[in-house]
Amino acid sequence: MTPYVKAPKIRELGYELKVRDVMDRNLITVQPETPMSKVRGVLRLNRISGIPVIDKGKLVGVICVEDLVNWLMARADNCSVEEKMSKNVVTLYTDEPLIHAINKLEQYGFFHFPVLERENRELAGTITREGIIRGLLKKLEIDYREEEIRHYRASHVFEDMIADKTSLIFQYYVVGQDFNRAGESASALKKTLKRLGTHPEIVRRAAIAVYEAEMNLVIFARSGEIIVKVDPNQIRIEVEDSGPGIPDIEKAMQPGYSTAPDWVRELGFGAGMGLNNIKKCVDEMNVTSTIGKGTRVEMYVATKKESVSYEVKGTG
Amino acid sequence: MKLGKIKEILEAKVIVGASLEREIRMICACDLMSDVLSCVQSRFSSLLLTNLIHPQTVRTAEIAEIPAICFMRGKEPQDLTMDLAKKNGIVLLSTSFSLYEASGRLYKEGLPGCSEYREAK
Amino acid sequence: MKLKELVEKFDLQIQCAAHRLEREIKGGYVSDLLSDVIANGRAGDLWITLQIHQNIVGVASLKNLAAIIIINGRQPEENTIEKAKNEGIPIMVSKMCAFELVGRLYNAGISGTR
Ligand SMILES: Nc1ncnc2c1ncn2[C@@H]1O[C@H](COP(=O)(O)OP(=O)(O)OP(=O)(O)O)[C@@H](O)[C@H]1O
Ligand SMILES: [Mg+2]
Repeated sequence: MTPYVKAPKIRELGYELKVRDVMDRNLITVQPETPMSKVRGVLRLNRISGIPVIDKGKLVGVICVEDLVNWLMARADNCSVEEKMSKNVVTLYTDEPLIHAINKLEQYGFFHFPVLERENRELAGTITREGIIRGLLKKLEIDYREEEIRHYRASHVFEDMIADKTSLIFQYYVVGQDFNRAGESASALKKTLKRLGTHPEIVRRAAIAVYEAEMNLVIFARSGEIIVKVDPNQIRIEVEDSGPGIPDIEKAMQPGYSTAPDWVRELGFGAGMGLNNIKKCVDEMNVTSTIGKGTRVEMYVATKKESVSYEVKGTG
Repeated sequence: MKLGKIKEILEAKVIVGASLEREIRMICACDLMSDVLSCVQSRFSSLLLTNLIHPQTVRTAEIAEIPAICFMRGKEPQDLTMDLAKKNGIVLLSTSFSLYEASGRLYKEGLPGCSEYREAK
Repeated sequence: MKLKELVEKFDLQIQCAAHRLEREIKGGYVSDLLSDVIANGRAGDLWITLQIHQNIVGVASLKNLAAIIIINGRQPEENTIEKAKNEGIPIMVSKMCAFELVGRLYNAGISGTR
């Protein structure tokens, strides 16, 4: 499973996850008496844009790139961090919902916040935009590629998250003939769509359609993949296999037509209803197939509120 | 009708699940999973009666949001099927009646199938 | 009850072997799994199924079942009808789903236990 993400937003998870779940526990700090001349090295070495300043275990300030630049520009004498740091530090507690962190990052335009333990106000970690995105994706059980996150600059991703604009891509590999694992992709997708806050009836329709297509892949082909793109207005599902292909698609679409072998019938499939069920569940469906090469089933489910049908369309 | 009452009518045994408080509104008696998917219309309130104890039965129930399955003729599924049911909060029952007898008994008590359910709505 | 009475009472469409409707029905069985019917079907049973594949005829004949009723208004495949004709197994089609058809048959006195 190697789905990649273009611009995630997942507000519900913002409430479910706590700051501590996604914060960076790798504490890089300086003391108030650390000379300014050393700050640059620490920032660069750790590729960070700000450092918490700690005095006897307590957070007393933050020194960031901007402070360093100002100090360099002023060509002032070397001095201690304490003189240049910001003392009014905006912090978060480990037990706050992640959405607070997201909102604060937006509100202040900062890139990071120190995180404190509520009981003793001791520094527990730092939270960054990248850390938040990584945490959200992990929670969704989406494997992401590091470079994707960097590529779509974190701030850009953030705007989409706040603006409620989504476009997620999920990709599942399916192994043919493996009946014990058949349906796992449909099941995983269903959970993900639920977490994304998709309307339950839409989730159900998409899940049934993917399940039927996945079962066909497992039964008739050796391997294939499922690619799902979730946009604000629709879900696009593509199920592609490198199987034997379908000689007569029109015939295959007829309810009751099945070439499933006996062993498949004994496992509860082969009613010849699958493609027909897909048709009833989705708003648009295209099947293309080349003999000896494979089959591709493309389906669209509209997710706009007004197009939600609360029932799967009646039996044919 | 409460799932608990259905369990009594079918003299069934609970294989997986704790609460039988769930209200069941329609019954689907099928062994072919695509038929189940086209039959079940009521989310969270259908009962599936089936001869098939394969894990795919539970997978299908998960996808179609069927809260309970009853297996026939005293059949009990493998661990894989039970684990999947536990994970998805699906109740599994087992009756010694055949699918025919079980359907007949429940129909007599007034439970509808998919087309009657649709018409009633 | 005889097959003939059923046909009228439950609006069944006869597909083949119309001359064999005098047979008395002993009971009913619902299953779409052929192995299950082979194991548990009894002579004289009315078999209710969604399967339309020609193998159903072989099973019905092996177990000496009274007739096959195909549900959901599904039409049996051509070679299924052909085979059933040869074997003298009546096949009928009902528009109802399994649960609703069985419910009515049951209420009409055809039981699943003997
Ligand atoms: N991915 C595929 N590759 C090759 N053939 C396929 C594929 N999908 C469907 N078919 C062909 O189309 C027929 C109809 O498919 P459909 O899903 O409607 O029914 P089924 O899979 O046979 O039975 P059911 O889905 O009811 O269990 C299949 O029997 C098969 O011949
Ligand atoms: Mg299929």
